[in-house]
Amino acid sequence: MMKSVVSKEYQELQKRIVQLQEQWKQSINPETIRPSLDKAAMAAGMPAVSQTAIDFDISLFLQWIAELNQTLIANNPDLEPKLAAVVDVLTEETVIRWIEEAYSFNQIYFEKFADEHGVDQWIPPFLAETALRPYLQLTAEKVQPAITHGVPGAGCPVCGEPVRLAALEEEGKKVVHCPRCLAHWHARRLECSHCGNTDHEKIHFLTIEGDPVSQIQVCEECNGYIKIIDTRQYIEKPSAALMDLNSIHLDFVAQEHGYSSMDEKKQNS
Amino acid sequence: MTKYIKYVDVTKCDGCRACMVACKNWNDLPADPQDFQGSVQSHPKVSADTWNVMQYIEHENGKGDLEYLFRHSACFHCTDAACEKVCPENAISYSKYGTVVIDQDKCVGCGYCVQNCPFEVISLKEYVDKNGDKYRKSQKCTMCTDRLEEGLQPACVTTCHTGSLEFGEESAMIKKAEQRVKEMKDRFPNAQVYNPQGVGGTHTIYVLAEKPSVYGLPENPKVPTSAVIWKDYAQPIGKMMIGATTMAVVGAFVTNNIISKRKALKEDRGEDHE
Repeated sequence: MMKSVVSKEYQELQKRIVQLQEQWKQSINPETIRPSLDKAAMAAGMPAVSQTAIDFDISLFLQWIAELNQTLIANNPDLEPKLAAVVDVLTEETVIRWIEEAYSFNQIYFEKFADEHGVDQWIPPFLAETALRPYLQLTAEKVQPAITHGVPGAGCPVCGEPVRLAALEEEGKKVVHCPRCLAHWHARRLECSHCGNTDHEKIHFLTIEGDPVSQIQVCEECNGYIKIIDTRQYIEKPSAALMDLNSIHLDFVAQEHGYSSMDEKKQNS
Repeated sequence: MTKYIKYVDVTKCDGCRACMVACKNWNDLPADPQDFQGSVQSHPKVSADTWNVMQYIEHENGKGDLEYLFRHSACFHCTDAACEKVCPENAISYSKYGTVVIDQDKCVGCGYCVQNCPFEVISLKEYVDKNGDKYRKSQKCTMCTDRLEEGLQPACVTTCHTGSLEFGEESAMIKKAEQRVKEMKDRFPNAQVYNPQGVGGTHTIYVLAEKPSVYGLPENPKVPTSAVIWKDYAQPIGKMMIGATTMAVVGAFVTNNIISKRKALKEDRGEDHE
């Protein structure tokens, strides 16, 4: 097993969650997801999920949250009262709201929700996000043939997640992976995914001594970074979600050096 | 655990030697300057500082045409490795990946492994300690066992740009090799998969374009009988005999003590008046 800064127990928990999400995805009726992609909107960087009609099955969603809670409690029994407190206040209306807010990463809503109901702040967004992902992943699977490239600064073309992870695949192709919806698309080796900068003099690479597979591509133009993992070297190719988790030390290194996973210039303007 | 092996398709190799460079680079091996060999081949064979060598063979095929053959040569990592059998210090062992590795701390540099390897891929390296004394250690390809532990492929495989080297699950690789041999039977009638069973199969299998002997490989390599006799019979019997001798000595000591004590006791009681 590859070395990681993440503890074995946490990796195992994440693996179980990824397996659960895969099972959940299988139980979704594919016809409830109807993408109607608009070329102009895609070219402008509008995520595909916002151009897709999804009929959410609320009871299924609640069932997934219950299964997720079981997994979390099995891993750490101390969580039982905390999670029970959240489940108690979960009504159908709340779930619909959760889905909407998780879609748009509305951290403020979830913080408020947690404070109002006296639960730990990490719990509501974690549950909502984890249970939303199977829908995002199935949408990504459906639209994948149409996803050929990303729009700099727009994040993932399927779900809008900021770009932070790419893999070097066969023949040295750089493929950006979204650890959230598992969509992937080709990118130029010397291009910043955040601002589109292609000036090689302003793109640098940070490497970790003794780590032969990882590098951090940083852009002096927008101060953005992405992690690049050379997956050609792996015997078994890791999944994007686990690759993102196991390379979390690179995020720390990049952020400690003052880089960010978005285009800072755009954000500040 | 899944068994992984290295697959070498010599017919896809273009002789770029990137595998040699990647090996030196990853394993931090020093340069090993050589005199001109009379051909483009850099080293006559693998050495203690050069764990894989690209062979360049000029071969006249049956039709009178010249074939220029290349072969990436390195340790085969035999399933029944002669080197492991003959090592008197148990310095050579199998890793959990089936690769054959040398424990440098245990190696005494006796050279038995060098003499018994059917593929001649082990070499001794001479070192000088701080007192100026010379000592030797065996060196060879490790199949990058340190990389396997990290879930990474061997360095030579990672760098190969023609797809001549691959690292994968054993049955898939063997199937691929057999399929490849079928494909090129017209071009190379002597093409074959080289995975010698005399050493229990190897962890590096080859798709060869010609007979093994053309590449200087043994047609049917075996673990030397003397090594089997030595390791499987002589050594255990020897150890048993040492055990038996020790037991006899200890037994004799104990019984003698008892006898002499009894004798002393009798004397004390004054039963022996003579």
